[in-house]
Amino acid sequence: MSDIRDEQDAHEFRAEALSLWRITFGPLIWALHFVCSYGATALVCAKAGAEAVPVLRMGIGIGTLLALALIFWFGLQAWRQWDLRRDREWENDAGTGEDRHQFLGHAGFLLAAISFIGVVYVALPALFIGTCA
Amino acid sequence: MRLIPSVTLLRSTALLTGLSLLSACEGRQSVLNPAGRDAQDVLGLIWVMFGGAALLWFLLGAIFAYVTRVEPREMPRRWGEALIIGGGVIFPVILLGALLAYSLPMMAPQRAAEEGLKVHITAEQWWWRVAYELPDGRRIVSANELRLPVGRRTGLVLNAHKVIHAFWVPALGGKVDMIPGRETYLSFQPEEPGVYRGQCAEFCGASHALMAFETVVMTPEDYAAWLEAEAADAQKPASAEAYRGAEVFAREGCGACHTVRGTSAAGQVGPDLTHVGSRKSLGAGILQMTQDDLSRFVAHTEAIKPEVAMPSYDHLTLKDLRALAAYLKGLT
Ligand code: HEC
Ligand SMILES: [Cu+2]
Repeated sequence: MSDIRDEQDAHEFRAEALSLWRITFGPLIWALHFVCSYGATALVCAKAGAEAVPVLRMGIGIGTLLALALIFWFGLQAWRQWDLRRDREWENDAGTGEDRHQFLGHAGFLLAAISFIGVVYVALPALFIGTCA
Repeated sequence: MRLIPSVTLLRSTALLTGLSLLSACEGRQSVLNPAGRDAQDVLGLIWVMFGGAALLWFLLGAIFAYVTRVEPREMPRRWGEALIIGGGVIFPVILLGALLAYSLPMMAPQRAAEEGLKVHITAEQWWWRVAYELPDGRRIVSANELRLPVGRRTGLVLNAHKVIHAFWVPALGGKVDMIPGRETYLSFQPEEPGVYRGQCAEFCGASHALMAFETVVMTPEDYAAWLEAEAADAQKPASAEAYRGAEVFAREGCGACHTVRGTSAAGQVGPDLTHVGSRKSLGAGILQMTQDDLSRFVAHTEAIKPEVAMPSYDHLTLKDLRALAAYLKGLT
């Protein structure tokens, strides 16, 4: 009897491991976008001339769109997993498999939202400042 | 019981000194009294940022007041969600994004390339090494004062020796760090002739607070004349007392640290004294350029500026000190 329950738990846990990973993807993309944007700008401004700046800005623009699309995609997945629209449950605080599943969706969605805003703010300087000065 | 009157006294003196400080400044060192293009831009930015912050603060306050005082009942779920997500997430994100977008384009103009001169300023402990670079590459060395022509953009190439300092003339523009071994750049376009105070704005040691300077903004004609005079060698002593002062200067070895162009004094440790007498202040913005203050500074340097690299010459006779001061004051 207890063996069966343990096995069921283990199975559920394995299934949840992926969404535990998934909630980190938004902030990870944000961090990666940040490091690449600032690193590339520092390199270009220190080593290359003014003629490389438009290319840099274009690159940051493309990287930003890519990052935003990815974060949006992960956010959407998390939103579905939270399942707010169907059951209208804002909080999933019971110790059940379903609540754990939905809670991770909730957390992943919020983290994706803040990462989305973070990426936009990080990209703004490249949009509004056209020189290395 | 005895504490109360003294606290009141303290408070009122603090208030009084605060007030007199405010009025004594007359905006010579105030962001709120811009005397140049760059400072005007900074002030505009301050007001916009303040406006945005005030808007956010009042709106959130109003929402709190509404849900706790005006309508403290449970509201429909949709309403609550709209209030929290709309007022707590979407509105601040858009407002902060707009402020960011407004401020970012202002950064580059504060570092726009110069139209005429470039001035190299190196921060020392606790004074300013200054060199004017003419378009033909010639450099005119000075110290502890900055002179700028009105209406034209002058470049400021900043550097530091040993520790980090920061360059700030609030009435003329933004503040920039001065970092050892790393050049930073800033440029000013002053619009009103006058004398404005600058101050080191990054803690740099014992006499950090005593590291200031005057910035003199002049008409282009006055400026050209001044620059020519500054490029010239030092004037010869014009009185018997000043002549004696020059002898004391040589005898005491001041020239090991100080340069007086046109004499044998060629030291590089301390400020260039070739035209020290024409400066608006003494000791990096802390004393007056008078005979009294000059002899006081030379005799009690360490007391006036803690940990300064210049020895105190308190062993000199009063007569020698007065003579030295007369000589230095005559170096216009
Ligand atoms: C060991 C080097 C050294 C010697 C010797 C020295 N000084 Fe100085 N002096 C300095 C330094 C460093 C400063 C800058 C101090 C500061 O403001 O932080 C200075 C500042 C001054 C200033 C103020 C300059 C200004 O721009 O306001 C005067 C005036 C002056 N010295 C005069 C003298 C005279 C006169 C003697 C000789 C009796 C002398 N100094 C000897 C290092 C020296
Ligand atoms: Cu300093």
